Amino acid sequence: MSSAAGPDPSEAPEERRFLRSSEELSLAQMLQASSLVQRRKQAWGRQSWLDVPSHSVPSTAEAAALERELLEDYRFGRQQLVELCGHASAVAVTKAFPLPALSRKQRTVLVVCGPEQNGAVGLVCARHLRVFEYEPTIFYPTRSLDLLHRDLTTQCEKMDIPFLSYLPTEVQLINEAYGLVVDAVMGPGVEPREVGGPCTRALATLKLLSIPLVSLDIPSGWDAETGSDSEDGLRPDVLVSLAAPKRCAGRFSGRHHFVAGRFVPDDVLRKFALRLPGYTGTDCVAAL
Amino acid sequence: MSGLRALLGLGLLVAGSRLQRITTQISACRSGPTWWGPQRLNSGVRWNSEVMASTAVKYLSQEEAQAVDQELFNEYQFSVDQLMELAGLSCATAIAKAYPPTSMSRSPPTVLVICGPGNNGGDGLVCARHLKLFGYQPTIYYPKRPNKPLFTALVTQCQKMDIPFLGEMPSEPMVIDELYELVVDAIFGFSFKGDVREPFHSILRVLKGLTVPIASIDIPSGAGTQKVGWEWV
Repeated sequence: MSSAAGPDPSEAPEERRFLRSSEELSLAQMLQASSLVQRRKQAWGRQSWLDVPSHSVPSTAEAAALERELLEDYRFGRQQLVELCGHASAVAVTKAFPLPALSRKQRTVLVVCGPEQNGAVGLVCARHLRVFEYEPTIFYPTRSLDLLHRDLTTQCEKMDIPFLSYLPTEVQLINEAYGLVVDAVMGPGVEPREVGGPCTRALATLKLLSIPLVSLDIPSGWDAETGSDSEDGLRPDVLVSLAAPKRCAGRFSGRHHFVAGRFVPDDVLRKFALRLPGYTGTDCVAAL
Repeated sequence: MSGLRALLGLGLLVAGSRLQRITTQISACRSGPTWWGPQRLNSGVRWNSEVMASTAVKYLSQEEAQAVDQELFNEYQFSVDQLMELAGLSCATAIAKAYPPTSMSRSPPTVLVICGPGNNGGDGLVCARHLKLFGYQPTIYYPKRPNKPLFTALVTQCQKMDIPFLGEMPSEPMVIDELYELVVDAIFGFSFKGDVREPFHSILRVLKGLTVPIASIDIPSGAGTQKVGWEWV
């Protein structure tokens, strides 16, 4: 069990034994535990997103540590988390650009995917957009060889989502062909040189876009800590932070900022001192 | 053959005795239209009442459902992990829409999730985890666990999220009625065939006697897969 989390002062010791142990409970223990859990829940209360001081937004290193905790301690599979993030990203797109308000052309979405995890999330996002009756097209020029990316690509291909073999450098052609663009090229910690020439050229074209741009996790090319402080960087209209906002999100000045991907357990939130906006009901996306 | 007939008989009894209670329960909930029919791959449930009222939903036979699964795994290269995550998330979403926390007596509402020995049980584990994130307080009973990494990982995820696992199943329906406001049946799915072995035979018998609502994942466990039209999740 995760002893690194440290004791929670609001928990009684016997409660921790019930709730943290991997032993199974007898019925009598369950009757006792249920009332203890009720009190603990009330003590924890609900978190709300106010003016968040920067220390509660994870640094790149902390975000990586959080992911490691989920993968190693919680035994989440990378595929699970990528699926949840991609699905939630698609839901975020539907909130920012609801389908009933869009014309046929406006439903066409260009999803630009890099070769790393951000790109995998983009592939999942494209598939769910298709299920949600948008019309995605994918530009995925530098393909990862790993099995996860290959399977996600197959799923998109089998669902008749077209893959562009090249992206026009003339931005007006993109403005005319699509209603919006999803940037899933680079996540936090990815260096521009890792994504290859075609992705880099695509990003240069996207900087000149006049149709809406949605960036997944961080605007590609931004420094995850400091953000992009030159006029040269991508300026998305919508930022979809995955699981929790990254430090550079403070410099985001577009129209909508969402956090998407509702899977971080309470204990991990506490351990990393994260405060997220309250998700309502069964939503996997929350607006900031 | 008599075993199969007994199974169908069990399914009839289970469904018949419970139907009236479920109808009452659902009408008491402040939720939208009733969700009809088994829909396995419901990534991103869209609660659009006009669509639901006008579209005829096709109900799948066991063979058709298995064929769909095979196509998704072999042709589309979906992994079991992926589909199980989407299925469990969708079930939790559906349950939360049918029985919203605000309509339940306790805060957080208590839910017992009973997981069977196969993939339906895996769906239940994912469902329990998402119910926890949605503000419910799930407890899991998972007596027969396959020794495969997928299932051990799902168990770890639940344990790490402080979802308790019962060591024994209450033998009296009244005890379950006292402790839990809702039971999720994730025992057997659409690929189930043959006799119901212990401990599940006894578990199903206990579930028959419940007054709290039961939400079944995919099909009511033990019901013949030819049965359609029940108000199950």
